[in-house]
Amino acid sequence: MKVLAIAMVNLRRVFREKTNIFFIVITPIATVLMMGLLFGGGQEVRLGVVSGPGPLAERLVKAVSEGERIRIERVGSEAELRSQIERGVIQAGLTLPANYDQELLAGRNVAVSFVARPGDPQALELGVWVRSVGGQEGALLRAARFGTAEGKGSFEQTLAAAEKATVPGIEISVRTTGKALFPAGFNSFALSAPSLMIMFMFLTSLTAAIGIIETRLLGVSRRMYSTPTPVGVLVAGESLGRILIALVQGLLVMIGSALIFGVNWGDPFAAAVLLVVFSLVGGGAALLLGSVFHVPGPAISLALLLGLGLAALGGVMVPLESFSGTMQAIAHITPHAWAYEAFAELVRHGGGVADILPQLGVLLAFAAVLFGIGMSRLRQALIH
Amino acid sequence: MSDAVLACDGLRKQYGQMVAVDGIGFSIAEGETYGLLGPNGAGKTTSIAMIVGVLARDAGDVLIDGQKHDVNSVKTKSLIGYVPQEMALYPDLTARQNLRFFGRMYGLSRNDIKRKTDEVLEIIGLADRADETIGGFSGGMMRRLNIGVGLIHRPRLLILDEPTVGVDPQSRNAILDSVEQLAGEGVAVLYTTHYMEEAERLCDRVGIVDKGRMQAEGTRRELVAMVGEHDRVTLTAEGDLARAAAALREMPEARQVSHDESRIELMVPEAGVVLARALHEVTEAGVTVRSVEVREPDLEAVFLHLTGKALRD
Repeated sequence: MKVLAIAMVNLRRVFREKTNIFFIVITPIATVLMMGLLFGGGQEVRLGVVSGPGPLAERLVKAVSEGERIRIERVGSEAELRSQIERGVIQAGLTLPANYDQELLAGRNVAVSFVARPGDPQALELGVWVRSVGGQEGALLRAARFGTAEGKGSFEQTLAAAEKATVPGIEISVRTTGKALFPAGFNSFALSAPSLMIMFMFLTSLTAAIGIIETRLLGVSRRMYSTPTPVGVLVAGESLGRILIALVQGLLVMIGSALIFGVNWGDPFAAAVLLVVFSLVGGGAALLLGSVFHVPGPAISLALLLGLGLAALGGVMVPLESFSGTMQAIAHITPHAWAYEAFAELVRHGGGVADILPQLGVLLAFAAVLFGIGMSRLRQALIH
Repeated sequence: MSDAVLACDGLRKQYGQMVAVDGIGFSIAEGETYGLLGPNGAGKTTSIAMIVGVLARDAGDVLIDGQKHDVNSVKTKSLIGYVPQEMALYPDLTARQNLRFFGRMYGLSRNDIKRKTDEVLEIIGLADRADETIGGFSGGMMRRLNIGVGLIHRPRLLILDEPTVGVDPQSRNAILDSVEQLAGEGVAVLYTTHYMEEAERLCDRVGIVDKGRMQAEGTRRELVAMVGEHDRVTLTAEGDLARAAAALREMPEARQVSHDESRIELMVPEAGVVLARALHEVTEAGVTVRSVEVREPDLEAVFLHLTGKALRD
């Protein structure tokens, strides 16, 4: 009962402060929203198109638009197209000359340009697709023109015949193996929600460690120790308080993102287990930080440094999958990387507890070490 | 000693080479108020921490209600109400929430917590501010709540460490009234203060501590008798006070003479007999006397005699 009383007073103190509610609840949800919108649109690639009128131009644009996850945005001029690409409004642009149809019908070659920002992998992938479509379309047009030249009918007739013709050729089948990093139709908010939740839970836990230091500075810890309460109960109460702060924040972010953005956190039981285990890690880190420092100033600095630094290193700021092999190995010295992997398994691939057992084990080991040292330090700090 | 609520003996605490408390011992009976006086760094707070059971002692014994007591004693800790010098409260909670929290720490039942919280709020005069966050309280209100927390479980022994520091006169009076009332109801009180008038008003017995040791102990009358029934004459003056003090030391009746930049303190057996001559000596030394104050023997004089310092030094 006393353990719970101490834990609850910690929780009450944190959530009583309005600015804390802003940072603990509103900021993570708002960041999920922002990141979701930033990488949103169902992961569609936006291709700007400048073209004149004409059925042949429309044929090409329609063929390009039939690629996966491509959205065509009509743009008025090439200058506007370039401007939108540079500003990131669209990923790439396709410019067809205004006299595209006339030139082709007159039997002349036509130059179509594809514009993209350098180093944009989505745009490069799109460029490959556009080249492929251009090649196929060019082959049909050449066949139609040949038919016309051979007196087999008008261009429209020979083009229609070329489309229907079944000419043997090379067929390349493209298949995938393994799990997709981001399954088709994946909710863009679900991409960032777990990462942000991990980052904010850990950051909040560390900053909430200041509460332990304040309690000692105020003399409240010593006063509690003057009551008929064993020191072990005091330490356990403070520990539970840290865990609850992390847990409540995680729960609010989880429920909030599910209700507001439709994030599917996967198997509810597995997600709950993972949330509790990561709360233990955050709580342990908070207890250790709060027991080591005697004044809040340096502890706050270190909390921010660790909270943001470990998040970056652990692959929750920039996706872990984009790290090199060496950096991915280094990332796994942080609990963040393990939690990220486990959430990715649940959220993206529908995994269950059995699928994330290794990650849970490592996270529990992190929690055990942090709590072990933190509880011992706090016990010393209280009785001496 | 056998019916004492608190009995401590031979308390010792050493930090490295420094001995903070060296063999302090005293006892307090039911309904008795015991004052522990001493200058800053004398060892009062360390002694109290050992008695309360928040600091492990190197040597000595503490008995609460006849039972052995140390840092791990859960049962005897429930008999003690501790009011530390600092405001050991959660500033972002209300007065009621603070009281309820510590009620739970003392192991009170839910019903007892509710009832006693209301009672204590009445006693400390904060019933009408009970649901306000205490961060906005005045120093006096905070002090009263600080005491209230020590009373929530109705202790047998109440330990107050400098409970009136920084408090307005009205709150101070309220605090002193409460302590008198509690002692009247049988609570044993251990009280430390820098204010001699508080010790004189409240304490049945006083222990004077300096340099970690008990220098003297007894009732006010016993202590005053210990140093002699001397009057204290305070002259507020201008001029060469060192020269005037030297002249006063030549008087055969002068027991102790000290001075600072604006005052001369003179201890004499009977001020009425020597005052005229003392004023003459001071005037002869070229000093202009602005005011004269004569005080009969008191604890301040005893303290000064035993420690060589004023209580507030």
